[in-house]
Amino acid sequence: MRRLAAISIVVTVALVMAGAWPAAAQDKPRSGGELVFVVPSEPPSYDAHQEETFGLIHPTAPHYSTLLRVDPTDRTGTKPVGDLAESWTISKDQLAYMFKIRKGVKFHDGSEMTSKDIKASYDKILHPPAGVKSLRREAYGAIASIDAPDPATFVVKLKYPESSMLLNLASPWNWIYKADILAKDPHYYETHVMGTGPFKFVEHVRGSHWVGKKNPDYWDKGRPYLDGYRAIFISSSAAQVAAVRGERAMIQFRSFSPPERDSLVQALGPKIAVQESPWDCANLVAMHHDKKPFDDKRVRRALTLALDRYEGSKALSRITLVKDVAGIQVPGTPYATPPAELEKLAGYGHDIAKNRAEAKRLLKEAGVPEGFAFTFKNRGIPHPYEHLGIWLIDQWRQIGLNVKMEMIEASAYHPMLKRGDFDVAMDFQCGFIVEPDLDLPRFLSHSEANYGKHKDTVIDDLFSRQGRATDPEERKKILRQLEKRLLDEEVHVFYTLQWHRIVPHLAKVKGWTITPSHYLNNQLDTVWLSE
Amino acid sequence: VHKYLAKRFLLMLPTLFGVALVTFVLIRVIPGDVVELRYSGDRGSVSQEVIDKERARIGLDKPVWQQFLSWIGGVVRFDFGTSMWTGAPILEEIKLRLALSLQLAVMATIVAVLLAIPLGVLSALKQDTWIDYAVRLFSIAGLAMPSFWLGIVLILVMLVVFRWLPPMVYTPFWVNPVQNLAQLIWPALAVGYRYSAVATRMTRSAMLEVLREDYIRTARAKGLMQKLILSRHALKNAMLPVLTVVALEFAFLIGGLVVTEQVFNLNGIGMLFVQAVAHRDYTLLQALIMLVAGSFIVVNFLMDVAYAWLDPRIRYR
Repeated sequence: MRRLAAISIVVTVALVMAGAWPAAAQDKPRSGGELVFVVPSEPPSYDAHQEETFGLIHPTAPHYSTLLRVDPTDRTGTKPVGDLAESWTISKDQLAYMFKIRKGVKFHDGSEMTSKDIKASYDKILHPPAGVKSLRREAYGAIASIDAPDPATFVVKLKYPESSMLLNLASPWNWIYKADILAKDPHYYETHVMGTGPFKFVEHVRGSHWVGKKNPDYWDKGRPYLDGYRAIFISSSAAQVAAVRGERAMIQFRSFSPPERDSLVQALGPKIAVQESPWDCANLVAMHHDKKPFDDKRVRRALTLALDRYEGSKALSRITLVKDVAGIQVPGTPYATPPAELEKLAGYGHDIAKNRAEAKRLLKEAGVPEGFAFTFKNRGIPHPYEHLGIWLIDQWRQIGLNVKMEMIEASAYHPMLKRGDFDVAMDFQCGFIVEPDLDLPRFLSHSEANYGKHKDTVIDDLFSRQGRATDPEERKKILRQLEKRLLDEEVHVFYTLQWHRIVPHLAKVKGWTITPSHYLNNQLDTVWLSE
Repeated sequence: VHKYLAKRFLLMLPTLFGVALVTFVLIRVIPGDVVELRYSGDRGSVSQEVIDKERARIGLDKPVWQQFLSWIGGVVRFDFGTSMWTGAPILEEIKLRLALSLQLAVMATIVAVLLAIPLGVLSALKQDTWIDYAVRLFSIAGLAMPSFWLGIVLILVMLVVFRWLPPMVYTPFWVNPVQNLAQLIWPALAVGYRYSAVATRMTRSAMLEVLREDYIRTARAKGLMQKLILSRHALKNAMLPVLTVVALEFAFLIGGLVVTEQVFNLNGIGMLFVQAVAHRDYTLLQALIMLVAGSFIVVNFLMDVAYAWLDPRIRYR
């Protein structure tokens, strides 16, 4: 009976997913209606330049525009398109980017937006005034200067070519603020909303909801389609599912777990559509390079060889938010590791018996006795940390290791990693755009997020070279070398499984495309309701 | 009487100070802080420099005793500061949620009292009959079922059977009473039922005790009507312990509906508590604990006043 139910869920999901795409492509957008969605977290402040949470992006991004944005129809979330920039040119030496800015774009107070506002916003990001935080300024180390020579031109000059620059300028965090306001009060945007986006701000009741209404003066005529939107803050996942199931909300843009998806599909049948994607988040295993026996790369290699990632993927993807077996980039994106290459890396081969025999041999060679015990420190969050942790312990047990898992309460987890107070620990990373320059700096010798404290100038050099390689094929080659060094030759860290994003939504919600990042595609200008 | 009330009132102050001190110290024993949580985010790669600056900005870099003095100074002036997570004034954060929590507490109390007093009295009057057994079963079931569990069951029944869910956003009663009641009646029933179970059992045992008193026997011997004996002599005296239970439960409801508010997604004080703990928002958490402790202390004080009014023996002791 259970099996029958499971099969029916799988069939329904497949049918719904298969049916949703062509239908969405054929349907003509319809204006009107209010989109109601759930946000599992809440914004601490309203200033995206200084926040890190999707709890801000989801309810607030519809009020703002960015210079560039990631194409809202691109499922890889890696294709930059213009937002306030109408077009751009790049100099032959790739050191100067000149953006032509759209004319007639207005802030919600009716004033005209010009390149002066873009410059002021980027000045705030790159050189924040005293007392103002800018969390991602390090990502723009290549920028030598920015300029707004006339109201319709914005120029970025670089110190050296950087292949990721366009995507970096499409960051969903880089909202464009009004220059005059920033000049008067650089803290204004922490508590106020004033943008050029498709929706105007109506109200935010803390702990309850956020409301936006259509901006009739939006530069993209005919858009947005919705009359407005309402974001409801619900922290309990059971209440989130109930909200969608009871049709009090239409979508939750972050992700639901596989069992939650299945319960919604079972309850709502054709009224629900499901979009899924590999997620730009992954759990890694950090091994402290100053602690024995993890200072020995044979031991680190044994730990990754023990993992049967392919079988793990099958089992874990049914119960938690992981699925794909991947290397340093999200599968399906431009710099992802091809499966044939992936299989050559330690722990990615399909012959698990051979891998584990090799792991045991390496442990013996390194002098690690059978039954060697250590503690694996994990973050005290169920999905997917706890599930992955249990799986890891079982995998390591199969090469004769005796591992105890210690769950560290969420707020104490990061300080623990930073202090290096672990032998082996769960590490994680989540990106907002799949791009090596944004995802890989944590593996550099000097990075504060290099929790295992490895020192490897080869990796530092490869990272620098890939970032400056302007030919994509050359860049891929360097990335594969970096990956081999990081995950196979030195095994400084290793990846477990790629997170998997699952967004079930009422089938009447159209015009929204899932991407690998829950920080992307939240402006809602393309979204419409079929009923 | 005045001396008695003044003594009771003055006793509130050291109690509140004790709560403030213990709260302040205990919160800081919990590992991690608001800045780590806010900036660890999903990437976990915000520089230590940013974290240190933010700690300094909100005063977490100062010695704990200095932080305490600064905070307690504010409390004395009824200034609880700003939330470390949102930066909003704490009184504003609490005010935003207090209306919902108070309304829910009042509604749950009404449900509880309407159930508990008639059932408790009936059960006592019909002791050891099937009515008594039924009431006792009903109240034991109420005690055994946590209100949040009952809430989950209510939601599931509404979803599965009626394909309907209460509104997710709070609408004040004076704005739209139907919408308001459609949201709050369910948690009020879930909480009120458990609350009534305690009060029913208390009413029953108090009534049984009072009904065996000499003055009730005397009243009956005088030929007084049963209705008058019950209302004028038995119930009034049996209400003293019931009043205590009802009042303390009411105080608990102001901030104690932590899980129930999560289940029904109610933006009340209980939910704010959860958020404050989850975010390690020290200033907000301290203020909330002071609010709940203050509610208990005030309710206790009012109980003492009520006792003195209801029972002359206390007044003249």
